[in-house]
Amino acid sequence: MRSADVVGFCWRSLRGYPLRTGLMLLAMAIGAGSVVVLIALGEGARTYVADRFMSLGTHLLIVLPGRTETVGGPPPMMGETPRDLTLQDAVALLRSTVVRDVAPLVVGSAPLARGNLEREATVLGSTASLYAIRHLAMARGRFLPGGEVDRAEPVCVLGKVLADEVFGDLPPVGQFVRLGDRRFRVIGVLQAMGESLGFDIDEVAVIPVAAAQSLFNQASLFRILVQARNRDAVARAKKAVVDIVRERHDGEEDITVITQDAVLATFDRIFKALTLSLAGIAAISLAVAGVLIMNVMLIAVSQRTAEIGLLKALGAPGSRVMRLFLTEAAMLSLSGALLGLAVAAAGTWGLGRMFPAFPVVVPAWAPLSAVGVALFAGLLFGALPARRAARLDPVAALSRR
Amino acid sequence: MRMQDAIGFSFQALSGHRLRSFLTALGIAVGIAAVVLLTSLGEGIHRFVLAEFSQFGTNLISISPGKKTTFGLSGAVISNVRPLSIEDAEAAGRLPAVVAAVPVVHGNASVEHVRKSRRTNIIGAGPAVPQVWRMQVALGRFLPDDDPKAARAYAVLGSRVKEELFGPQNALGRRIRIGGERYRVAGVMASKGEMLGFDLDDAVYIPASRALALFNRESLMEIDLLYAPGSSAETVAARAKSLLVARHGAEDVTIVTQDQMLTVLGSVLDVLTMAVGALGGISLLVGAVGILTIMTIAVTERKAEIGLLRAVGAGRHQVLLLFVAEAAAISGVGGLAGLAAGTAGAWTLGRLVPALPTHTPWTFAALAELLAIVIGLAAGVWPARRAAAMDPIEALRAE
Repeated sequence: MRSADVVGFCWRSLRGYPLRTGLMLLAMAIGAGSVVVLIALGEGARTYVADRFMSLGTHLLIVLPGRTETVGGPPPMMGETPRDLTLQDAVALLRSTVVRDVAPLVVGSAPLARGNLEREATVLGSTASLYAIRHLAMARGRFLPGGEVDRAEPVCVLGKVLADEVFGDLPPVGQFVRLGDRRFRVIGVLQAMGESLGFDIDEVAVIPVAAAQSLFNQASLFRILVQARNRDAVARAKKAVVDIVRERHDGEEDITVITQDAVLATFDRIFKALTLSLAGIAAISLAVAGVLIMNVMLIAVSQRTAEIGLLKALGAPGSRVMRLFLTEAAMLSLSGALLGLAVAAAGTWGLGRMFPAFPVVVPAWAPLSAVGVALFAGLLFGALPARRAARLDPVAALSRR
Repeated sequence: MRMQDAIGFSFQALSGHRLRSFLTALGIAVGIAAVVLLTSLGEGIHRFVLAEFSQFGTNLISISPGKKTTFGLSGAVISNVRPLSIEDAEAAGRLPAVVAAVPVVHGNASVEHVRKSRRTNIIGAGPAVPQVWRMQVALGRFLPDDDPKAARAYAVLGSRVKEELFGPQNALGRRIRIGGERYRVAGVMASKGEMLGFDLDDAVYIPASRALALFNRESLMEIDLLYAPGSSAETVAARAKSLLVARHGAEDVTIVTQDQMLTVLGSVLDVLTMAVGALGGISLLVGAVGILTIMTIAVTERKAEIGLLRAVGAGRHQVLLLFVAEAAAISGVGGLAGLAAGTAGAWTLGRLVPALPTHTPWTFAALAELLAIVIGLAAGVWPARRAAAMDPIEALRAE
């Protein structure tokens, strides 16, 4: 039998019972569609987190005071150590040829006041280098001035939300605010950026690191952000940083250096596993759809015994009859899966419109695997009815009437 | 029609086509099993996480510097201009209904004994730790009840640190160096294991005032209060707040009760469990489509039977109910099978992989079965209406 005839035969028999066929297509479509949508959501989440992370800066290393011996455990978060990680330590890192720039970081919280208004603000003490390293952008004015890092100039840069709250419509640049008990002149306002590295940049006040150390009476740095010269230099920069600080700390290695890449790789692994689990759970529905196909085809075989008997009487061998029914099952699952893909495409497009901030990414392997699993399920569950049809005795089949 | 006749009728119809009924029920069974397994997993994790957080005791209130009302850190915990002092902790400890207070500072330092050294977590705390955090001392004793502002240089080792520095030797009374300063070992903590990736035994406890000096800090990071059982958490929290406002001149602390934290955590986990259960529901949906399909075919096949029923006097409503009941019966049986499979699967998973706890509460089981029956009812309605709408004469004629 020619392939075209086989397909035509199956097509006609499927069209003969439109309701039944339609429902089976629906079942397959739900299964395939949900697999694709869930994979898209998982991949979207992974891309979102990766993007947020990459936007923190390029070729970034983060130096934390403290070190744990437990392998695989979390690094010390709070940054308290007996020996201070000093501003001079940060400056010394610039000596290395693989380090392009360095931004020391002091973090704390202080009451920000202007006139009668007072509210608590997160204070970041850093240098002019923070601007480039963290890909910051100004909405008004300028960032911290360059020059000697130990100069405690009483100037500050405010995050967008903080500036709006404190100043309202009044232009903030040139005005004075009180942080704790000291006056600072506002020289700039940052563009709205949202949350990153655990802090909401829009609610932050950035002051020179030496001023922050004085304000909080804190000699030790909270973090040092290091930018390596280029991608390949990151590993060497990590080693250089550890060596320089160890030498300055009398041979004691009391810091942890985290690379952006390593964290990103960990996140990647976690999200990939998540996406696969989601897809696996959705794929269970494809198996259920396959069971439905088997059920309906068994009924169909018992209803079409006369037809099958006639086919066999005309000379079709059992294997050809089996192939006919398997093709029918395959066509069902394939069309159902394609229908599901169409619905999923519409669904992901709709989601993309509703949540523009969240990337909805459909990787190439998603529809392929959905269709593949659907086809597999259809063939697997269509095998039993097909075999039953193939085994029918033509005489017995035709005599029943 | 009598109830038992109706039930008998339905079961006869189903057992007439055993394979078909089995496969239809199988679809629902797989869906229900998936939902039960996934929600059991979610529920198990929920309980596990809550238990982990409750292990430190339940009548706890924590006071942290800075005003952060969400779960996150305020920058004030790191550095601030209005320090949370040991005197604040002492005063809080004297509040009515407060049993004990623990001032907390933590950091990282090198601990040395003779030639061995290890970088570990240093927790500055107070003598009330065994009571407030429900931690047992395995050997010796915890920190002595000294004046917090002038505490003697005693240290208590976590079990991991003791192993690494002393091996099988006795550690009590020996001298160690922490960050270059000399301390004497007063005791060794019992092993607590891991909590959410954090090794609780990899720590050394010293008096909070010494920790402040060691890390060159003015402010504590937290004060933990244990209040008497039977007291209301809100009352004690309110008292603590007014005390600190009076002492600091402004409201610059965040006070969180254990209950609040567990409630927030609990609701987050509940949402996750439901989301995961909904994923299993996709299979259930496909199973419902299955019931719809099979019942539609059955109605077409049994036209003559329906016509006969109507001819001998059955009303449209009765025919409708018969078919709806049949659909509900299939899904009910499938639901039971799925329930058994899902529960067994969850239990096996819990045994094989101890890291993934599972728990199947009775309410979930009952809800799952109810869901299965409702699905059967819903899916069976449309074909049943078609059956009820048949004209008996037309139905009997087609043969």
